[in-house]
Order: sequence, then structure tokens, then C-alpha cells
Amino acid sequence: MRNLIAFFQRFRIFLVFALLQVVALSMYFTYSDFPRFQMLTTAGAINAEILTIRNDVTKHFNLEETNKQLQWENKRLREKLKNSLYKENKGVITVDDTLFRQNYSYIPATVINSTFDKRDNYMTIDIGKNHGIKRGDGVFSSRGVVGIVHLVSDKYAVVKTVLSKNINIDVMVEKGGSFGLLKWNGLDAKRGSISGISNDMRIKKWSKVVTRGGSGIFPRGILVGRVEKKGYIEGKPLWDITVRFSEDFRSIQHVYVVKNLMQEEFDTLQQQIPEDSEEPEL
Amino acid sequence: MRGIILHTVRFIVFVLFQVLVLNHLEIQWGIYPMLYPLFILLLPFEMATVPLLLIAFALGLSIDVLSNTFGLHASSALIFAYFRPVIFKLFAPRDGYENTEESNIYTMGTRWFIYSFGLLLLIHHTWFFLIEIFKLNEILLLLRKIGLSVPFSFLLALFAQFIFSSKKKSER
Repeated sequence: MRNLIAFFQRFRIFLVFALLQVVALSMYFTYSDFPRFQMLTTAGAINAEILTIRNDVTKHFNLEETNKQLQWENKRLREKLKNSLYKENKGVITVDDTLFRQNYSYIPATVINSTFDKRDNYMTIDIGKNHGIKRGDGVFSSRGVVGIVHLVSDKYAVVKTVLSKNINIDVMVEKGGSFGLLKWNGLDAKRGSISGISNDMRIKKWSKVVTRGGSGIFPRGILVGRVEKKGYIEGKPLWDITVRFSEDFRSIQHVYVVKNLMQEEFDTLQQQIPEDSEEPEL
Repeated sequence: MRGIILHTVRFIVFVLFQVLVLNHLEIQWGIYPMLYPLFILLLPFEMATVPLLLIAFALGLSIDVLSNTFGLHASSALIFAYFRPVIFKLFAPRDGYENTEESNIYTMGTRWFIYSFGLLLLIHHTWFFLIEIFKLNEILLLLRKIGLSVPFSFLLALFAQFIFSSKKKSER
């Protein structure tokens, strides 16, 4: 017993160090996969409050840019309005309301904190459970795809942005429709890559890359970026495609959260797809 | 008593500066400056290592909470605090640290500051980016981040000393 106490006294510094280190590291490595203590992130109330105050100050610096973006988006939407279109054959087309049902709805949000230079980048937005969003909802802005909701508290949410390791959003090249998963290499906030496109597909430089809508998180056709470069991967029949993001993550202010109103139906259907069994059946 | 208040205020200032200013600097190429290690360096000499570790942990965790890094800063701050006594012993001046109360650049000299703080900062940043990236095949990204961020953080710490520690020198 005395030896044990002596041992603890001798190595007490190292033991305290090791204990705290284990706490910190286990927190770090489990957090990104299984968020547990929400208090300890920017979705927590006090922390979000501090960052909201900061954002209240700094948001005015980007006001001009933000206005321009919103104006541009308004222009696009206005052009789609009925009264800015000319009806070619009057009376032939009847608009039947029951023909369309709302599939996606969008909730606007303000970004109060974001990073772009880490290996995994997150941003905090000012809406949460009270506004009806949940973990796994898609997030995009007027310029392009932003990320996926990762943690939700009552009033705030943390979004895992496209600039992270395992973001894997379903995307496709608009022309030709070849699809793959979006990845990020951790270095350049302006560029990402697509993996899984077979290299016998024809892909034109600067063709648009959009979401595929494959997992029901995003509607089909939200802009991600443009194909900047393509190259061969040694030993694999795949293209190495570099995408230049249309979103500028360094100056992001306003985003929309996507709610898929038919997600449940979609998921139950998807679950019925038989999975490939790992071991061959005998 | 005066010391406790001073260090508490410093603690808050360093956390807020890191979270509200440095985390939002828009520098590319993987540069991520961190100033808060300077706070741990500036804690009193006679402080035992165990409270030092606890303070460093609290400091790192406060920054984590406000920047969504979930324990990354806490872990790195611990490394810094753990190695502080080791490095101090390594670069101890001939007559020890007896007459100095704070380890800033003026009381200890430029040479000492460059060696000990530089080395500690290198350890801290290496650990930080190592844990952050945690992939062997991205070693180039790791080296690049360390190589670019350490000088940046060091210069920042140097400026902070020039601006805020100079008053103490004239008092002496």
C-alpha cells in the first residue's frame, strides 16, 4: 500500500496529465461522430450568445456583398414569376394545383460563426429545434451547397460544411449525369473533388456540378461548383476531378436549411433495397 | 491577490482574442495562428505543475467550446503546460529563476524567449495539427500547416509582448 502511495506521489504530475489528456482526446474523437454534450459546443446557449453578439458587430462589414447576393437571387426568382412570363398559347395550359405537392421547404438562417481553415469545418446558424430543423437536414446558400446539419439545440444548430473529411454529398455533373461523392482534401477552401466517376465518362471542363438528390437531403440540381480539372488516378479506372466551389466559405452570411417533407417515405423505400452481403453465400 | 486578478483578466482576454479575432482571420494556405500558449508561458514560475495543467486544461476547453473543436485545444494546451517545466529546466539561466516573477521576453532575455517559447510552441502546434488531421497519408499537409503556423504564432506572441509587457520593464 505504501508503495502504491509512493508511486502515485512520484508520478502524480504525469498521472494528472495523462488523465486530462484522455478526457480531452476522447472528447475530440467521439464528438464528431456521436455528439453528446451539446453544452460544450457553439450550439450551447451561452456560447452561441457570445458569438451572436460578435456577428451583430461584424455582419455590417459585409452588408454590401450580402445585399448584392440577395438582389441577384431576387432577380432570378422574379424572372420565374408568372407575371414576368408571357403566355404563348392562352387557355391551353391549365395550372392544376393538385398536380404539384410541396416536396422541399426552405428555412432561412443567418450564419453566426464559421471556420474554413480546419480539417473539419463547422458553422453555427441561428435557427434550431424550435424552427423544426433536425440533424441531417441539408444547408445551402444562394451561391451553392454549404453542408449538413450536425447538432441541434433549441435555438441554434451546428452545420458540418462541405469543407470536412466525411461529408460525402451525392453530386453529379449536370451534363451527362455522371455522379459521385463530394470530398475535400483539407487544404483549399475554394476547391473540392469528386470520387467515383468512371474514366470512360466524358466530362467537359467547366461543366456545372450539382446535387443529385440521391439521399433526399438536397433537392436535385443545387449548384455545387464547376469542374476545374480532371486527371487520371494511377491504378484505378476513375477520374480525379477537381471542383471549384461556387460557394465562398470565407464570406458566408445567409443560408437556407432544406426540409424534405417526404423524407420518411423516401427512407422507408430506400431501406428495402437489399444490401450486398459481405461474405459470399454458400 | 493582485497576481490572481491579473491572470484571470489575462485568461479571459486570451480566450476572447483567440475565439473572436484569430479564429476569424482569413488567411489561406493552412495558416492558423494561436496566441493562447503565451498565457501558459506567462503564468508564475513558482506554480506547481498540477495546477498548471488544470489551468491549461480550462483554458483549452474554453477555447474549444467557443470554436467547435471539441477538446483539440484542451489537449494541445495540456501538452504545452506539461512540457513547460521540462523546457524551463533545460534552458535555465546560471543563477536559476529565483529573482524573476514572470517569464516574459524582458525579464528573461530575447535568447531565452526564442529558445524556450519557440520549442514549446513547436511541440504545441505539432500536437495540435497531428491530432486535428490524424491521417498518415496527409503528412505533407501536416508539415505545411506546422511550418507556416508556428512562425506566425511566434511573431504574434512577440508583438503581444512588445505591446503589453514593456511597461513592466520601465518600472524596474
